[in-house]
Amino acid sequence: MRDYWLSKLFFDLHSSPSLGEAYRADRRKVLDRYPLSLDVRAAVERDDVAALAPRVNPYLLRFYFVVAGMSEAEFLARVKAVAPPAAGSRRG
Amino acid sequence: MARLVGVFASSHAPLIVRGWKSVKPDDRHELTRSLTELGRRLRAVRPDVLVEISPDHWVNFFINNLPSFCIGVGETHEGPGEPWMKECPYRVIPGHPKLATHILETALASDFDPAVSHLLTLDHGFCIPLWKGGVDPLPPIVPIIINDLEPPFPSVRRCLQWGTMLAEAVRRYPEDLRVAVLASGGLSHSIGESTMGEIDEAFDRECIRRFEDGDGRRLVDFLSDTLPTIGNGAAEIRNWVAAHGVAGERGFQLIGYRNCPELYVGCGFASWTLDAG
Repeated sequence: MRDYWLSKLFFDLHSSPSLGEAYRADRRKVLDRYPLSLDVRAAVERDDVAALAPRVNPYLLRFYFVVAGMSEAEFLARVKAVAPPAAGSRRG
Repeated sequence: MARLVGVFASSHAPLIVRGWKSVKPDDRHELTRSLTELGRRLRAVRPDVLVEISPDHWVNFFINNLPSFCIGVGETHEGPGEPWMKECPYRVIPGHPKLATHILETALASDFDPAVSHLLTLDHGFCIPLWKGGVDPLPPIVPIIINDLEPPFPSVRRCLQWGTMLAEAVRRYPEDLRVAVLASGGLSHSIGESTMGEIDEAFDRECIRRFEDGDGRRLVDFLSDTLPTIGNGAAEIRNWVAAHGVAGERGFQLIGYRNCPELYVGCGFASWTLDAG
């Protein structure tokens, strides 16, 4: 199940370079604009890829961590530790 | 009457643009050869209009509104907005509202229910194959977005039927027009998942074999079974399936395939030989 507001945060950051700059300058100020649940917000603040991955589209997850400034190598290492998605979740 | 003059398919790995320097020389050579040949074949059929089928990459749509099929009927479309696509020459891309509207009406009459957009942004998926294939200036483009990005996806069978409908729409268009179709996406790749960076070459080769075999039912069965089990990016092969439907399920010709770990994508390029007349 997707978390709407987490997805919206990632989508907005992907869509707006100026919001991305603001986010890198003061992450908490931008996060305050989104009604994230406490556990989701905590996962964002600690860059917890494994906790966030099941809640958003994988492309948005990747785009977010590019905007947030995580290196490709670091992201790859963290995402590879995430449990693979259930096959049925991709069925069309 | 309009005439279908060419059907093509191409991968659109973003790292072809933003990671090109990190690509091994052999891979670079092979990708350049394939993209150049794709562009040559596309230009050679002298299309008056190009119908291009590509996914959206969170540029036009979000999860509050995510169509399975969307047709761009605008006079113009916006060029790619990704910062790393800033060298791409396509900024304002001409559309073809008359053909786009005709395709929309044909789709509705064929029991499809596509969404409509009067202004789409054509992201790297649309632009990389054309840009790197040397297609400049662009012919007018009718963009069609298939949701290959976020489940639930349209079924593979529905995408094949969409292609068949598209061919019928072109045949029925009353004005003289040379129409080509380009499907953009695939082959195997995985983005933002635990399998990110892994390419399933055996799957890609089997896909290619199934396209060469031609039979739409066998292709649909194979992909319906396998796509849910491999990397998310392979969902884009739905666009190739639509192109296969446009071509009448025959004539597939591989231009090139390269397993490129540096690009995270099994890169494939193809065209379909169409019946004369």
